[in-house]
This record gives sequence, structure tokens and C-alpha cells, in this order.
Amino acid sequence: MARSITGYFFILPAMIVLALLIAYPLVYTVYLSLTNSAGALTDRNFINVMRPAATAISFVNLIYWVGASVVFEVVLGTAAAILLNQKFPGRGFVRSVTLIPWVVPSIVAATTWAWMFHTEFGIINYMLSGAGLVRQPVGWLTDIHLVMGVMVAINVWKLFPFVAVMVLAALQAIPDELYEAAKIDGANFWDETLYVTLPQVRTVLIAVTLLLVIWGLNSITLIYAITQGGPANATLITPILIFRLAFQSFQFNQAAALSVVFFAVTAVIVAIYMRISRAGEVA
Amino acid sequence: MNRISKSLVFATASAVVTLLPTLAMAGQITWWTPNWGEQRARKLAADFEKANPDITINIEVTTSQGLPERVLTALQSGAAPDIIEVQHAWVQGYAQSDLVQPVDDLLKDSSDYNKAALNYVTYQDHLYGVPYRVECIGLLYNRDDFTKAGLDPDKPPQTWNDWTADAKALTRDGVFGMAITAGGEVGNTITRALPLIWMNGGDIISADGKTATINTPQAVAAVKYYTDFFTNGYSPDSTLQNDGVANRQLFIAGKVAMYQSGQFDIAPIQQGAPNLKLGATPLPHPEGKSSACILSGWSYVIPKDAKNPTDAKKFIQFLNTTDNDAYFTDTFPARISSLQAQRFQDPLLKPFGAALADGRPAPNNPHWVQISQAFFDGIQRILTKQQDVQTSMNQTNDDIQSLLDQ
Repeated sequence: MARSITGYFFILPAMIVLALLIAYPLVYTVYLSLTNSAGALTDRNFINVMRPAATAISFVNLIYWVGASVVFEVVLGTAAAILLNQKFPGRGFVRSVTLIPWVVPSIVAATTWAWMFHTEFGIINYMLSGAGLVRQPVGWLTDIHLVMGVMVAINVWKLFPFVAVMVLAALQAIPDELYEAAKIDGANFWDETLYVTLPQVRTVLIAVTLLLVIWGLNSITLIYAITQGGPANATLITPILIFRLAFQSFQFNQAAALSVVFFAVTAVIVAIYMRISRAGEVA
Repeated sequence: MNRISKSLVFATASAVVTLLPTLAMAGQITWWTPNWGEQRARKLAADFEKANPDITINIEVTTSQGLPERVLTALQSGAAPDIIEVQHAWVQGYAQSDLVQPVDDLLKDSSDYNKAALNYVTYQDHLYGVPYRVECIGLLYNRDDFTKAGLDPDKPPQTWNDWTADAKALTRDGVFGMAITAGGEVGNTITRALPLIWMNGGDIISADGKTATINTPQAVAAVKYYTDFFTNGYSPDSTLQNDGVANRQLFIAGKVAMYQSGQFDIAPIQQGAPNLKLGATPLPHPEGKSSACILSGWSYVIPKDAKNPTDAKKFIQFLNTTDNDAYFTDTFPARISSLQAQRFQDPLLKPFGAALADGRPAPNNPHWVQISQAFFDGIQRILTKQQDVQTSMNQTNDDIQSLLDQ
């Protein structure tokens, strides 16, 4: 008994730091969301943030943004990792080059892409019209049917190297004997990938996907720096709405209310994901 | 003995240190002035010190980056300077929070001041700032494009019908006739579209700030007029990405023949395209109605905790004589008589000067940032063809009303 109490004392400093850094902001956000600026209890914050059409739009956009980003990041990242795991001349160089998008600071990448996709001055429209592929400049960032796809593409470009590196590390840990055994059984490249490689990197993929989902839900830099959520809220995602409420309009209580709703939605998504991935593991 | 003398020295020193600031206050004025007018500020301060040898001016140069926060911190800290230059629109907030002093006694000739500027700085019938600088958005155009399109560059559009007709004629050979803003900085679009709504007899919110009025027929007609520049193909394809700065770049690049802006764009244009023949005119108005613009600019305020308000008032009176206001302002003077000065007779500046009389203050509402965003989203819904003008403005009206109801 006494032994276990001593143990608690040892972890106390760490618990205090955790409480200050995580629990306090969390509790304070909930408190802010339930009070008005004078500190009185109210439900108005939730009513006020849920009333504008933009709030619902931002949640739908968020699901599209995270879903599409994660799928393409994982598929492209895994494919890149499998390729980079093959033996070919200049492999080290190609591996380093693949990492560049991930290393570039988000704000630099966003600004550069924004200029490249600009309707009037952008190099992408310049090349397309120069090659005679399009007659009118394409409104990459102004057409509401295209803009979210463009944002997802930029996000995938930015993050697939991370998936590639993680999966590559897992691939290198697969013992060669497994492949040799598969070869003896007459497996070709696709059979090896499907029945040896992928099952071996499964745990890494689950962890990486969870990280990507969390990053996607929290991301603000790329979209905010390129479109600020526009045009006409076509790329508005909830974190941007929270940012606007808090730091442009100084409505901290409403921003807290939206954060609480956002936290609940995120928690449900992550819980479902973990449930599914654990069920897969048991099976 | 030694100890006693040490204590004495210490006591005297402390007394001197404590008294120093108090002594220094008499005859000292601390003045926060923005960096763009620093040279002129130093010259005026020297002139004043010459005429008033018992008063010293301490200039502290500010920059626009983060200025609102810096001023607010100083005003709340209890250690504020004696004079601060702030934007007109900030003054009401300071007055409401009792952070600045009333300065009614400073303005003996209020009829010589721009009316909209005085409106901005008046709170509960008292004046809380002395305006010295005002500016308005007008219309800039490329004179060569007018000639090429068979239009007379000396006769820029005066009415909305002229404006549309000219935009149509000017849209040729890869040049867009009239660029509107509908992207980038949210505030830019409201400064350019709201005056059109005013000219047409509408408004975005009612005068008492309780009702959204952006879906009234007058407002909707004005919004339609504004967005039609894009719908009819007279505004660039990139309009949904463009704010004031982007339009200036397109104008310098020769891709745009007309766009709305203030005289602050003249210098960058002359620098970026020295051969471009620039023209300027006040914003065109609907037939039979008068023009309008959102007035902005700067005022002097005296913080509640200023150490030397008496001398500060004396100095502000010196700064705002007809001649000194004409000399000091970066754009236009708030005093009407100062507009006669030679530097405002430049033909490029005159149209902007003429527009000042039509200037109106932007609505003073705690939700103004969100109202601007709701309006901006509405304009974008029209330009992306998601909604027609009336439907979009109905939704914007609902969004604004929900803010006003809070």
C-alpha cells in the first residue's frame, strides 16, 4: 500500500504539468462556452454559433477535406514507400527528394501554390493555355466545384511523404526470409505486396492514418493561407470558423462553444476509427 | 556617521528619482505619431518648441502593424502618452470605455471640419478626438485605354449608366473594363460596394443598429449593379481572388482599365508603370442621385491618463491650424479650408478631394467584422452563381440579423 502511494508521488510533477497544459484549457473552454462575456451561465453561445448556415457547411466541408485527404495520402504514401523500397540506382537521392514537400514549411507551400493556381498570373494556367489544352483560364481557386479538390491535392502533396517515410521504415523491418519463402511458393510482385508487405505494415498504417485524421481535423494553415475558406464558403472548415470567431471577431465565448461541438464530433470520429481498427486487429 | 551619511545620500537620491518624472511632466508632451509622417511631425514639433520654449515634445514613432492593440494597452495601462494618433473608427470604442478625454473646447470652428469625420469621433454629443486626416475611395482609370476604346479620357463616367457603358467599351483585347473586388481582404469589398448601396438609398443595417436591411430593393439593386460587372464579363476571371492590392497589380500590368481605389494607390502605380496615363474621378452615382463613399482617416486623442493634457491641447491646436493640417496630413486634411493648399490642386488628387464631402462613416457596430464577412460571403455566392442576387442577399440579411439579435 505504502509503496503504491510513493509511486503516485513520483508521477505527481508530470501529472501537474499535464493538468495545467491539457486539462485546464479543456475545462476553461467548456466554461467559456457556457457563459457570456460577463461570466453568467447561458446557452446562447451554442444557439448563436449553430444558427448561421456557414456552420453546417463547415462540418460537411471538413468531412470531405479529411476523408479525401487521408485516403489519397495513405494510398499514395504507401505506393511511394513500396517503390522506394526496391533496389535501383540513385535510390538514396530519390528518397531524399520525396521528402521535400513534407519539409517545406506549410505557409511557404501554401503561398507558392496559391500563386501557381492563380487564375490570371498562375503558371499552371499559363502552361495549360500555352499547350493549347484550355482556351479560357481555369478558375482553380474560384470555381466552387474545383477549389476543394485543389486544396485536397495540395494537402496530399504536402503529407504523402510522411506516410511514405513511416511505411518505408516498417517495410525495412520485414525480414527478407518472408519474401524468399513467398518467391519459392511462386509469388510475383503483386502477390508479395498483397500477402506479405501490406499485412506486415498494417499496424504502422493504422497509427499513421489516425495521425493524419487528427492533423486533417486540426489543419488550418493551407486553406486559410490560400482561400481563407472561400469562395462563398466552399473551403470553409470548422477550425477556420473557430479561428475567425475568436481572433477576428473576438467572440471568445462563441468560439469556445463551437470548439466544444467540434471536440465532440472529433471524439466520435476517432472513437469509431479506433473501434474499427481494434476489431480488425482481433480478427 | 558613515552609515548616517550613506542613508542620507540614499534618501535624497530616492526623493530625486521619485520626483523626477513629476518634474519632467511639466512642459513635456509625449506624442505618438505614425512612421509615415515622421519627418513632417519632427518639423512641426520643432516649430512649436521654438514658439513655446517652455514646452518640449517627445515624439514616439508608431507603425500601423499591431497599432490598435498597442494603443489599447497604453490607454488601459494608466501610463499613456499625452497625444495619440488613431483611426477615426477606433475613437467611439475608447470613449465608451472612458479611456480618452473629451476635447469639445479644442474645436472652435467645427463647420470647417469634414462632417463624417466629426461624426466618427462624437460620442453622446461630446467630441473625443480631433480629426486631421480624411480619405475616400474613388475611381482610377487608364487614359490610354479610354482613347483606344474610342472614349474621351477627359470625360470619365459620372453616372451608373455611363459606368457600365464605359466598362463594356473598355473590355477588349485582353483588357477588362472594370475590376471589382470579391476576394482576399474581406474589408476591401465592403468599402467598395457599400457606397453604391448608400447612393441608391439603401443601407446594410438600420441607423439604430437593430435591423439588417441588405435585402431591401434599393440595396439589392446596388449589389446587382456591383456584381454585374463580373457577371457581364467586365471584371477579370480572377475577381473571386482579388482584393484592392490584386486589382492594383492587374491595373499596373495593363489588364484592367478601371478600378475603385484611393489616392494611396497613385504613387505605387506611378512607380510600377511610369508610362501609364492615370486618370481619377469620384465614384459614379445612379442617375439623379449623389455619390457616396466610406470615409476613413486619423484623429488626435488625449488619453484619460495623459500627464499633461493642458499643453497637449495647446499643441493640437497648433497642429490643426489650416496651414499645418494641410502640411501634416498624408492624404487629405480634415479641415475644409486646408484643402485650398497648393498640394491638393494636383488634377489627379482633386477628384478624391471632391469626393470627401460625400463621405459617410462606416456603421459603428460591435459585430462589424462578422457583418462584413456575411456580406462578403453573399457577394461570393452571387459571383459563383450559387444564388441569384435577391436570394443571396436574403441569406446575408438573415446572417446579419442573427448577429444583431445577439
